[in-house]
Amino acid sequence: MATATTPDPAPDAGAASPALLDVRDLYVEFRTRDGVARAVNGVSYRVDAGETLAVLGESGSGKSVTAQALMGILDSPPGFVTGGEIRFRGQDLLQAAPEERRRIRGARMAMIFQDALSALNPVLSVGTQLGEMYEVHQGMKRKDARAKAVELMERVRIPAARSRVGDYPHQFSGGMRQRIMIAMALALEPDLIIADEPTTALDVTVQAQVMDLLADLQREYDMGLILITHDLGVVADVADRIAVMYAGRIVEHAPVHDLYRAPAHPYTRGLLDSIPRLDQKGQELYAIKGLPPSLTAIPPGCPFHPRCPRARDRCAVDRPPQYDVAPGRTSACHFWEETLRDEEPPHDR
Amino acid sequence: MPDAYVPKEAVTHGDGGTTALAMAEAESLESGRNGRNGRSGRGAARPNGRPRSLWGDAWRDLRRNPVFLISALIILFLIVIAIWPSLITDGNPYRADLAKAQEGSAPGHPFGFDTQGRDVYARTVYGARASITVGVCATAGAALLGSLLGGLAGFFGGWWDALLSRLADIFFGIPVLLGGLVFLSVVTSKTVWPVVGFIVLLGWPQIARIARGSVVTAKQNDYVQAARALGASNGRMLLRHIAPNAVAPVIVVATIALGTYISLEATLSYLGAGLKPPNVSWGIDISTASTYIRNAPHMLLYPAGALSITVLAFIMLGDAVRDALDPKLR
Amino acid sequence: MGRYVIRRLLQMIPVFIGSTFLIFFMVYALGDPVAAMFGDRAPDPATAARIRQELLLDQPLWKQYLHYMGQIFRGDFGTAFNGQPVTELMGTAFPVTLRLTLVAIVIEIVVGITLGVLSGLRRGRALDTSVLVFTLVVVSVPTFVSGYVLQFLLGVKWEWVKPTVSTDAYLNELLLPGVVLALVSLAYVTRLTRTTLAENARADYVRTAVAKGLPRRRVVTRHLLRNSLIPVVTFIGTDIGQLMGGAIVTERIFNIHGVGFQLYQGILRQNSPTVVGFVTVLVLVFLFANLVVDLLYAVLDPRIRYA
Repeated sequence: MATATTPDPAPDAGAASPALLDVRDLYVEFRTRDGVARAVNGVSYRVDAGETLAVLGESGSGKSVTAQALMGILDSPPGFVTGGEIRFRGQDLLQAAPEERRRIRGARMAMIFQDALSALNPVLSVGTQLGEMYEVHQGMKRKDARAKAVELMERVRIPAARSRVGDYPHQFSGGMRQRIMIAMALALEPDLIIADEPTTALDVTVQAQVMDLLADLQREYDMGLILITHDLGVVADVADRIAVMYAGRIVEHAPVHDLYRAPAHPYTRGLLDSIPRLDQKGQELYAIKGLPPSLTAIPPGCPFHPRCPRARDRCAVDRPPQYDVAPGRTSACHFWEETLRDEEPPHDR
Repeated sequence: MPDAYVPKEAVTHGDGGTTALAMAEAESLESGRNGRNGRSGRGAARPNGRPRSLWGDAWRDLRRNPVFLISALIILFLIVIAIWPSLITDGNPYRADLAKAQEGSAPGHPFGFDTQGRDVYARTVYGARASITVGVCATAGAALLGSLLGGLAGFFGGWWDALLSRLADIFFGIPVLLGGLVFLSVVTSKTVWPVVGFIVLLGWPQIARIARGSVVTAKQNDYVQAARALGASNGRMLLRHIAPNAVAPVIVVATIALGTYISLEATLSYLGAGLKPPNVSWGIDISTASTYIRNAPHMLLYPAGALSITVLAFIMLGDAVRDALDPKLR
Repeated sequence: MGRYVIRRLLQMIPVFIGSTFLIFFMVYALGDPVAAMFGDRAPDPATAARIRQELLLDQPLWKQYLHYMGQIFRGDFGTAFNGQPVTELMGTAFPVTLRLTLVAIVIEIVVGITLGVLSGLRRGRALDTSVLVFTLVVVSVPTFVSGYVLQFLLGVKWEWVKPTVSTDAYLNELLLPGVVLALVSLAYVTRLTRTTLAENARADYVRTAVAKGLPRRRVVTRHLLRNSLIPVVTFIGTDIGQLMGGAIVTERIFNIHGVGFQLYQGILRQNSPTVVGFVTVLVLVFLFANLVVDLLYAVLDPRIRYA
């Protein structure tokens, strides 16, 4: 389990307060015609104010589903939260009334989506969509909300905000659109922002700008940030901790530098090894063999064992618990110690 | 899928020799199927799975779909009696017995008699032939003409495309029933072919638009671009890469159109512009019966029921096929 | 926007010429207007030749067409079979059909969109299934069948409404014919609304709206419905032209003396000026309706407007 190692309490909640967000043993499944897909299987993590947690995983690892469950925007049916707790500033959101959750959504915790072009309504001006936050959550008049929208756009450094507030999403460049998404999330100065692959759809040059902006704003408002990504490169600069997900569970959870220095799970190792590196120019890139399992038929034992270079017989039957590797660091691998020491070549091709 | 024109990079040697493209296809289909793959994280996962093809998948879906099974059964039945009406009736649709005019059902004549004393049951059964013939032939004609013209317009673009679009607009601009009345009122032939010809004439633009749209979309697919970059000839591109993608939407639209064409034939016949006696047509019979609806509603209801069920069957079939081929619409 | 309108107007010209020429061709080249004038009697060859010359029927078809169009734009549509100017017939027929179409469109909008929204928001439930079955049945039963059945049941058997419409064709008389005329389109509107709604319900921007913490009502009305109704509005727009042309069946059933009725008479009596004149006006109405739809589309969807 993730242990609370972050010393600083949430600033506005008084001393000895609970974590900003504390997810415990969350389960989500999708009941489809083709069977039940177990998308999230016992995920736990916590985020404090001013802290950035990166959730890393391939598509289908359950990282985005977890985020949707946190926000309460899971499409239900077919998606159902079947177990666990989501404690936001001490309150279990899963027990909260729908109206209560709605008030929190957008205002206290907000979400940034991957593809701003499709995530913004194509037929409403960005000003309308930004102002809507104030109209709905604060009962502001449309004209005042519009003024606030301009302010927001300026805050995310959109040039000529005043003249562009009436423009429509498709009239902006990709980077500018993502800034508008960020502005929308930021509107009511939430305590927590969940960014689901916020830069994946952008050009590399723009990616860095947007990521920097997000990091700056997070510091400025002392928000908690959950950064969902499949890109190890994005994570290194901005995250405090990383949770690596595979087949709906967290396989490794560690402070970012520890994880980069020495991963404690073969899957993390594989991910790190598949990053191209300049000093290995000319060599063939490493790739984890095989494909992630179908969520309707997750293998018994360790879900990663069919692809794992360290797999033994035990891995096929015995599902590994979260082993404490160090304070604030866990790994779901029976052989985390040898993985950590990188004994025995992990992959022979 | 493994094809000489697929660029090398796209072919990985994954499990069971599946190509990346096939996987991507299966996956995108999968994502459509579950509606929210990207979000649910129902993942990339199809372990050791053979890639499913669009058609294989569609067929698997169709077999389980009661709507498809029922409509296919009805259509099969209709086709059989259109070819061999004597299988289910030994009555003669032409023999008139004026003494029995407008009488209700009698032993051996379950649907009663029409205003000339002809057996309504026999006429209803024999009426299937005209409707099915017109429907099938008109659909085949419109689908062929439409997909050919639409496909070429979509593929070559430019002035071809502009010309065809305007041409299609012209035919769209003519009100169907009025055009039919004008066109068919000057035709003296008593066969079904003028009706078929007219429906093809006004029906092809609809198919052409669909075909054009899907060809334009298919043309933008990465693997088609790749094939082009590798110097595939136009003919080969069209046949191997583009046509297979454009066929599905055309089939869907054509199936639904078949139902509406049957309805159109009946309406034209009702207006006196479609089939003419001695053809046995539901439309003609309904038209005649409409005058006597107060006294002898059975004369109208049986052919009307048969007509409606036939149209319904084709529309249901089209619906089911569309659902199977286009999982996004679920 | 201005350039867009002009471009669309320019595009309409060849379509108008093409459609009207096609109809002109069918009537004048395939039929024999002179023989039709004499009905069953065989015309005296000399008289026939004189009439042909008078009517320019001995000229090439394109000249005849130009001549005819020239007259039309001067407001001269020729003479109907009963000696009345065609324009006079139009003056009485078009208002009637317009009223009928109006009734049908209102029914289509109110009932079709309501049913579509209800079933689209409750996909898979009992209501949705029954609406779907209803639309399937309605689409499958041809208008002339549903027309007679409804006329028989409501007008004759239960006597809720008058089975036929008077020459004045008051709005209240047109209610049942309006329903009959609207039925098939209504089913299409329902299905279209349902489909676009269901498709858009999965759209990312709807998820964003939910994530913003908007109340469900606002998500549905401001984001989901507004976007989903764009294609529905355009369908209904194009349908106006279709309904006016298709009213011929309904008008025949209920004995309404509208456009369809006059056209039908014109075709039966092979009166070419009536047929070509009425169809020309209908084509114009159709094209104009399409233009309005395109402009409406541009107003509703900024992606088109600024393209």
